[in-house]
Amino acid sequence: MSRLVLKFENAALKEVPLGTRPVTIGRAPDNDIQIDNLAVSNYHARVYVEAGSLVVEDLNSLNGSFLNDIRVERAMLKDGDAILIGKHEILVDQAHDAAQPADGVRKAPAPRMNETMILDTHERRKLLDMAAAAGERSQLAPERMRVPTLTVLRGSTDQKEYRVAGKLTVIGHSKMATVRLRGWFTPDVAAQINKHEDGYYLGRGDRVPKINGISIHGLTKLNDGDLIEVGRVRLNFRYRD
Amino acid sequence: MELPSIGVIACGFAARTARCVSQSRLLLHIQAGARTDLGRVRKNNEDFFAIDPALQLFVLSDGMGGEAHGEVASQLSVQTVLTHCRQGENSRTTPIFGEPSPDVSERTNRLASAIHLANRKVFESAASNPEQSGMGATIVAAWIEAQRLSIAHVGDSRAYLLRAGSLEQLTADHSLVAEKVRVGILTPQEADASEMQSVLTRAVGTGSSVEVDTDEQALVVGDSVLLCSDGLTRMVTDPEIASTLLTSTSAQESADRLVDLANDYGGADNVSVIVLRIDDKSESVFERLKIWKRNSG
Repeated sequence: MSRLVLKFENAALKEVPLGTRPVTIGRAPDNDIQIDNLAVSNYHARVYVEAGSLVVEDLNSLNGSFLNDIRVERAMLKDGDAILIGKHEILVDQAHDAAQPADGVRKAPAPRMNETMILDTHERRKLLDMAAAAGERSQLAPERMRVPTLTVLRGSTDQKEYRVAGKLTVIGHSKMATVRLRGWFTPDVAAQINKHEDGYYLGRGDRVPKINGISIHGLTKLNDGDLIEVGRVRLNFRYRD
Repeated sequence: MELPSIGVIACGFAARTARCVSQSRLLLHIQAGARTDLGRVRKNNEDFFAIDPALQLFVLSDGMGGEAHGEVASQLSVQTVLTHCRQGENSRTTPIFGEPSPDVSERTNRLASAIHLANRKVFESAASNPEQSGMGATIVAAWIEAQRLSIAHVGDSRAYLLRAGSLEQLTADHSLVAEKVRVGILTPQEADASEMQSVLTRAVGTGSSVEVDTDEQALVVGDSVLLCSDGLTRMVTDPEIASTLLTSTSAQESADRLVDLANDYGGADNVSVIVLRIDDKSESVFERLKIWKRNSG
């Protein structure tokens, strides 16, 4: 017997057998497959048999239905297909009786592994969801909600306080510098701060900066309250609300 | 091996460089060296690179897809990036493809836009030529304006920065093993030993749209920048790359030695490198005074 399997982040949440009646998918509670997520429309899509073929039809949803990564309005389904709605995946399993895993059927000969290839849709989607979950976790970190700033404690600069914004913040004499240092022999790029996924990192330019009195080796992550010294300039790195 | 570059590496592009950074105290001079090689195993070279000395734009791509279509994908990608960036320089009204990021400069956004356009071109070419179905490419591009280095990439071709003796990888590979390392379900050692290293999570031209990663760095005199295909990094370790860059006397020597190393270790894949060395053009205080006078006058 064929079935649809609702999955989220690799975990099977629900199985619905496919019969003669259409299976409805949406956020409203009266759907056969209810997905309680704001990215899903109340009545998002349905799956039904037409002339012996299984068909998915998007019900004019806001965020669309995706079949193997392609947005579809209406498409024929085959065993092993994955319908993506929001972050949820609905697998088509027509080989259920044969106790065969849905993705166990090879449709093409396995590529030689030293040949570069792009990840297939299922695997990529799984990975994206994993990364998205990790991203959501890191967004909950307190630093993400607050604005990183540099306050000048000592030294000759063009301002007393700076907001750190963007991927690259230069400390130096250069025109592109955010923290512009004055003085004849100050380098164009004394040091720089790079924004990474998980925070801000201080790196050297023409000078080796210190964090809390210790010279850095390579890129070093900045923590709230760190004292930065670049030449004769002292800066306080702080996250502000 | 023959260089398939579009713009041949010019020695005399210091003049242009000097003009670009005249507001600055130092004149960064960019010395470029590059090479691509078949390697010892492959029958055709699917890598491709190009250098535009006037624009200080450097692009490298590694194609994939059998029957020589990898070459089509890498060449089309590189040429599209070059053309789009040139157009962007000539006319500010050149459309931007993809979503520009407020976190990076206009230049960096233009570079990302070029890769979005390349993705579209490769994807459309594959869609309209069934024999090209499934072709794609990695891409890594560097663009230097004054002291700012813009980087954009898709796939597992990398950019590195060597500063004060230490080598830093500027790009995060879009490969299955690298992404698994980043989310913490694989150790770097397991990744190095994995048979899945060739599986990319993103590539140019395999989907109707692609996510492009960007980065920016401020360059200082003495820096070296390396762009390379995975044919180098699968064969040669980071410490070996660093010591080769440090002990070469020119960018071209670095490029040649890196390719030779990859081949000495087996040359399992095509290998391509672009090496940039950032030198100081204005050496004396007298020179600096002249620049200062010119700028203030």
